[in-house]
Amino acid sequence: MKKIVVKNLSKHFLLKDQSRIEVIGGLSFEVEEGEFISILGPSGCGKSTLLSILAGLEAPSSGEIQVSGKTLGTNGTRLGFVFQQPRLLNWRTIQDNIRLPLEHGALSGEEQRRVAQHYLELVRLKGFENYFPLQLSGGMQQRAAMARALAIEPDVLLMDEPFSSLDELTARKMRAELIRIWRETGKTIVFVTHDIYEAVYLSQKLLVVSERPACVYERIDIDIGYPREYDDDRIFDISKNVSRIFLKMEASHAV
Amino acid sequence: MHTTLKIYSIAVLLAAWIGLSFFFSAQILPGPIPVIQTMIENLRSGDGLFHLYKTVSRVLLGLALAMLLGGATGLVMGLSRKGEEFFESWVMVGLTIPAVVYAIICLLWFGLNDFAAIIAIGITAFPAVAINIWQGVKDIDTQLTAMGKAFRIPRRDLIRKIVMPQTVPYLLAATRYALGIAWKIATTVELIGMSSGVGYMLNYWFGLFSMTQVLAWTLSFTLVLLAIEYLLINPFEKRTTAWRAVVQV
Repeated sequence: MKKIVVKNLSKHFLLKDQSRIEVIGGLSFEVEEGEFISILGPSGCGKSTLLSILAGLEAPSSGEIQVSGKTLGTNGTRLGFVFQQPRLLNWRTIQDNIRLPLEHGALSGEEQRRVAQHYLELVRLKGFENYFPLQLSGGMQQRAAMARALAIEPDVLLMDEPFSSLDELTARKMRAELIRIWRETGKTIVFVTHDIYEAVYLSQKLLVVSERPACVYERIDIDIGYPREYDDDRIFDISKNVSRIFLKMEASHAV
Repeated sequence: MHTTLKIYSIAVLLAAWIGLSFFFSAQILPGPIPVIQTMIENLRSGDGLFHLYKTVSRVLLGLALAMLLGGATGLVMGLSRKGEEFFESWVMVGLTIPAVVYAIICLLWFGLNDFAAIIAIGITAFPAVAINIWQGVKDIDTQLTAMGKAFRIPRRDLIRKIVMPQTVPYLLAATRYALGIAWKIATTVELIGMSSGVGYMLNYWFGLFSMTQVLAWTLSFTLVLLAIEYLLINPFEKRTTAWRAVVQV
């Protein structure tokens, strides 16, 4: 079943002097239920704008997005967000941070606590529920952010370069954790990154997106079974290949 | 640990006061014991409580006015660029004019009454509040707001749970500044044009050259301010910024 269908999505902004910048130019892709897809593109190529549109923070200029067969924005489709920075509320404990998006829902206080506890354990933060975010390391904060996104039981988990501000060793551990969580929960994940190796290591499908205006330059399937070894030669080979595609794309865009 | 240090610092201050008082006559620097005795007598008489009450009520009402005016102005300045440009000069002018000028103007305009005192206090303390709230609103993390929107948190909750808590430290700073300013201008107004309040009593005892009374009145009001700080503001701050205290380990 198709979980996400993006058809001919475009977005432009009008500047003060009435000039237009095309940020996204006719982007189309589909994501299957339970799939892990990465969107890979150079910095500032409009990936974040795409995520903002998916999150409903910005309206597309044209095109259509369907999530679970329903048009985005017209229904109660739930999207879980993990940002580049954890974006936790520093004055709330970890548990209360995870509860935050549940507090305006139908769950009772007791149920909210139970759900928060469940996801806290899933991201391996058990024992830290009453800590404040600034008492935890960056990696642990990002785990809490993941638990918060999962706690709303989202249809799709959107991740915007979630590991790019972590040190490499922590990031590596977090990537392995993410795969474990994905396999345990069966969530559909859309992962945005500019890190080629990370994208290849994590995902089943890869969209290479061109520089502004963003559109799909290449689709790549990664047929390596999970669990994957981080230094698997096949991942290296595919990464090299993707790097070449990247260079070719950059060359064709350079004027 | 913190409290013992505070007790030490107060003890040192008292010791210095006692030590110095030995070198001077009671007309120049009476020791703490006669001052405290005089203060207690003043408060016992009932008249003393009345003057203290007058000043405290003027300070608190003036403070409320300053928070209202300054809060609204700071909010507008923080939220809109035009508002910032429009009010910035007002706030700067407000800060520059000496407090005593406001006191004189208000007394001339509104007469020698409580209303004039409260307006003078409110206007004098307003710029400090506006500046703090302005900064506070500007420092609101838009990334957190975007996070709230992405999680579909309703607007009311977004403001109450995500935006408001970020402004608490600035509100506290504004209250502290404004309180300090309010008390100073209150005594000034009372000294110039009122027939009640701590400022009036200071003026009265100044006329009679009684250093003991001047210090006794100063002390009694200082104690009131300390009580407000330690019984109201400090506990509130501790409760709302507990997450910060634990970080500085």
